[in-house]
Amino acid sequence: MKHQDRFLEFINRKGFRKGWSAFIVAFFLFFIVLPTVYVVTYAFTDWDAISLNVLNNPETMATIKDAIVASFAIATIVTIIDFLAGLPVAWMLVRKNFRGKELLDTLIDMPLAVPTAALGFSAAIFWVVNPNPPPFSLSVISSPFLLIILLHVVFSYPYMVRSLSAILEEIDETYETAGRTLGASRLTSARTITLPLFRAGLATGVILCFSRSMSETGGTMIALSTMSRLGVTAANDFATGPTLIGDWKTLSLADPTYTPALAFVSILLIILALVLLVVLKLLIMKFHLPLRKVWPMPEKMLSRGIFPKMKDGSALFFLAMIVLVPSFFIFTYVAFSTPQAGEWGQFFYALGYSFLVAGVVTVIDIAMGIPFALYISKHPDRRSSHVLDVLVNVPLIVPTAALGISLSLFWSEAGMLNGMEFIVLILAHVAFTYPLVVRNVAGAVEEIDPSFEETARTLGANPMQSFRRVLYPLIKGSILAGAIMAFTRSLGETGATQAILGNNAPTAPVYIVSLVKADAFFQAGLACIILIIVSYVFMLMLRYFTKKKEVI
Amino acid sequence: MVAADGLEISVENGEYLCLLGPTGAGKTTTLRVIAGLTRPDSGQVLLDDRDVTGLEPEKRNAVLLSQTYSLFPTMTVAENIMFGPEIRGMPEEEKKRTLVELLDLVRLTKRSSSYPRELSGGMQQRNALARALATNPDVLLLDEPLRALDARLRIDLRYELRSLAKGLGLTVIHVTHDQEEAMVMADRIAVIRYGRIIQVGTPREIFDHPATPFVATFVGQSNFFTGNILCSGHGRTTTVHDDEGRIVFARPSTLPVDSKVVVAVKIGNTRVVKLSDAYLTGTVERTLFEGRIVHLDVNVPGLGRYSVKLPASRRDQVAVGDEIGLNWDVDKASVFSYPEDGLEKELKVD
Repeated sequence: MKHQDRFLEFINRKGFRKGWSAFIVAFFLFFIVLPTVYVVTYAFTDWDAISLNVLNNPETMATIKDAIVASFAIATIVTIIDFLAGLPVAWMLVRKNFRGKELLDTLIDMPLAVPTAALGFSAAIFWVVNPNPPPFSLSVISSPFLLIILLHVVFSYPYMVRSLSAILEEIDETYETAGRTLGASRLTSARTITLPLFRAGLATGVILCFSRSMSETGGTMIALSTMSRLGVTAANDFATGPTLIGDWKTLSLADPTYTPALAFVSILLIILALVLLVVLKLLIMKFHLPLRKVWPMPEKMLSRGIFPKMKDGSALFFLAMIVLVPSFFIFTYVAFSTPQAGEWGQFFYALGYSFLVAGVVTVIDIAMGIPFALYISKHPDRRSSHVLDVLVNVPLIVPTAALGISLSLFWSEAGMLNGMEFIVLILAHVAFTYPLVVRNVAGAVEEIDPSFEETARTLGANPMQSFRRVLYPLIKGSILAGAIMAFTRSLGETGATQAILGNNAPTAPVYIVSLVKADAFFQAGLACIILIIVSYVFMLMLRYFTKKKEVI
Repeated sequence: MVAADGLEISVENGEYLCLLGPTGAGKTTTLRVIAGLTRPDSGQVLLDDRDVTGLEPEKRNAVLLSQTYSLFPTMTVAENIMFGPEIRGMPEEEKKRTLVELLDLVRLTKRSSSYPRELSGGMQQRNALARALATNPDVLLLDEPLRALDARLRIDLRYELRSLAKGLGLTVIHVTHDQEEAMVMADRIAVIRYGRIIQVGTPREIFDHPATPFVATFVGQSNFFTGNILCSGHGRTTTVHDDEGRIVFARPSTLPVDSKVVVAVKIGNTRVVKLSDAYLTGTVERTLFEGRIVHLDVNVPGLGRYSVKLPASRRDQVAVGDEIGLNWDVDKASVFSYPEDGLEKELKVD
């Protein structure tokens, strides 16, 4: 007891607390941020290799250019579609009351529960032209470009709806009511009063969707493989930035001359992602929607009768047909396929391996993420915490495949890659899941009045006691939410894993890619379903815990 | 930013002190410095002659009750009260006794297992108070403790809070911007402005003998007359005249003859009198019937608007447009030398 007291006394000392904060910040800088962007230094140290193998090789340059242009085009189109289709649904969720609203609310999040690897397979067999189409599939898409757009819409759509409805909830409805009592039609007042207040939510939504689409690897790769297996040869030559990294990484394991190209693509993607983040933020904040003009008659007409119903109807139809049905088509597909015997041992090994990685990653995220979140949210006035707050987002917007390349380069320079792949894999997954925990926890802490903890202190609680007994019970829900997001994100990740270990990495999503490539569609489908169920259980837990938080 | 600067005050054991000042005067900062939540750039905080300036908040035994009470939302009424004793590891028996006593004291025995959000504003306030008392603090720091309550309850709780503190012999520092609240609750009031103490004294002293024109109007509202001294000195009525030749009288002052001064009279001490007895005359601009009293706005040419209160019984004697006379008891009028930055700036509340 005596020792314990002395220990507690020690860790509550000012000096210790300062040292601990310094350690937490150092961990963030040296284990999260620095490795994430380390690959950029390759441009300075090995420029010769890049110019010899990449810049002077027109064929490689053309491939890189095509992939990156495709990535950008896809991300842009996807974001626009998300916005157009997401806005009416977000509006419905916040401003309207109708039967089945709860259900709609749940349905929106469904695609988030499905690992992108499973989504990619499910969407591909639903859309792609097939010589003998499975029952109920559409089999209409023959362009890989279109397929990837459809796929990316599926998993970025929920982010857009969530961001938009979050900001919409903040906007006071009385503005609009005031506009309407002054004689504006429903459409006019929504368009001229509420929409201009939307920018913050729009910025978040656009950045989330854009970076998610730019970054996605697993689903894209599986969709393209499925497409090429189904006989669409165009899919063989089609690549996005991240899938290019995945493929080249595998090749570079046998042929090191691919390394410079790999580094080059990663650098490009990282720099473009960062530039884009800044540009989008500035653009959306500065850009004024030129919508002042009012057309009373046509707008009045559009506000009444069949038009609003058509708008809502088509938004819901979009949600069902483009987002939900393709996500879960895999169940139909497996149900109507003839079972094939397969080797399941390897899949369950991979599943176990994925769980192990996700578990360890989540524990690290929580242990290191909570103190960091407390640090940045409790000193919002300090410039250093403002900078850190921005830096936290970096691993979120950097494409995970590029992040993986950067990390493996960093840790192999540090002499850690041989025989320590597992550790590097963990560190990579920590890098892109850490921000999820930090964001969630910091967001929750900022919401909580600091006077709770201050009062506890004046009542005689030391910093540890006031955290454990006062703050922790209030943010428990957000900690769990962050942890579960980190866990499912790690479980479904393909890009970063491949970037470190190549195509033979022993995780479940990568294994599913290899099943598809080996034409074992039925097994791939079943494996996807297992992965979906596991993730879905976690998603339910997430909803349960976040719901509980609201009650308090 | 300087929130509180050059502020020195000592509080006696068992004393009820109000820090009174307009919003942004540095009252809350002062409390936070005493509680240890804000570190002063310079200066000391002494509790019982013990220097606590460098001490963590939990080591000071100075409990802060914030404006919003900060009742822990995850804990019940009883758990909130027991927070302090539990942290200090108070023995089980004693803890139980304290809880029963305190619940009884603040009349929350029946609600002991409710959560703060289920309580009314007044109950929350009492719960927070019980929680603060449970740790037996050396000094209780109240930051606008009545602000969040509705008007009626706020007035009732003034007396309740004061008698509770007095009954328990607590040392209390109470921050407020409401002069009426400070007047009825405090043993002593410290008036703060721009982070400095302007005057410390009993409510009577502050009201009757304000140290500056600002205090004169912030506590109890005053009418002002600007002019030059004709006659002054110990034991002599001060005579002040202005350019228009009007002459008013005020209590003795040592300010030299001919110096520019401001005379302040509380609106409650300004009387409506016959024109022949008047120091000043003016036209009634507006009458406001407030129930027990009638409030008059009188336009005195060249001096602006004077406020006067009349008992409701005299309601029918004055009407808008009437020419009336004003005067006051000589010893109810204070004399100040004219403020450097002008009277208007001196009287501005924010």
